[in-house]
Amino acid sequence: MTPHTFLELKNAVVGIAGLGGLGSNVAVALTRLRVGKLILVDFDQIEESNLNRQNYFADQVGQHKVDASLENLRRINPDAILEGRKVRLTPEKIPDIFKGAHVIAECFDRADQKQMIVETVLSKMKDVVIVSVSGLAGYGRSNEIITQRISDRLILVGDTVSGIGPGVPLTAPRVGIAAYHQANAIAEILINELHTKLAGSTT
Amino acid sequence: MSAILKINGQEKTFEKGLPATLSELLDSLKIDAATVVAEIDGKIVEREDFAQTNLAEGQAIELIRFVGGG
Repeated sequence: MTPHTFLELKNAVVGIAGLGGLGSNVAVALTRLRVGKLILVDFDQIEESNLNRQNYFADQVGQHKVDASLENLRRINPDAILEGRKVRLTPEKIPDIFKGAHVIAECFDRADQKQMIVETVLSKMKDVVIVSVSGLAGYGRSNEIITQRISDRLILVGDTVSGIGPGVPLTAPRVGIAAYHQANAIAEILINELHTKLAGSTT
Repeated sequence: MSAILKINGQEKTFEKGLPATLSELLDSLKIDAATVVAEIDGKIVEREDFAQTNLAEGQAIELIRFVGGG
């Protein structure tokens, strides 16, 4: 990467909504990429069943996902600028909590929650890009997970059809593929599209 | 009278006329409104307004559907 690219990412702010299979892994990728600041939001605590795909460890079961993520990410980069919020996101809270974010990663589990945040960001947060995921359950079919540009401010990752259901579990490899598609789409936006804005925000 | 909408980039012909509202369109497509984000001609329509949003011939409608898992 050129020094110029580093400058852009240093000024970038990314919000991560949900720290489960998607969010915990997106956060790792963006921390390694040295994105300037991450806003990490989740109200939940780690359960043993989460360890099949989420970036936590057995000795962290029972901790808040926000606390465990902050701990894990700081082991990658002790200087990372991270803001953790233990709240349940609602349409009223989203613009305030993610204030200053250039991009938001939708990392929820439930379909209606995904709908809620995408609608809220598109209708209430001008200029913010949301990278959302739909269709990642099961295993195999790696190449059916794709990244689609739906519009200027909406990017959709996934195969669009594989929801969680009986006999269709969530697995580490396929959720991980989707999470890294998401992180890669975010990297692309920050590097290619927010170049001017991020350079301009240097003080 | 038949009418056309462009749904997710594909033209769809309604032989008996357009559904009156976005809600009726979703019903006819058997889509659960709780899991869809809708844009008409590039402009977002909030879910609470689906039932009051009238449709017109030739509109481009984008329906982004979500399934669970994350």
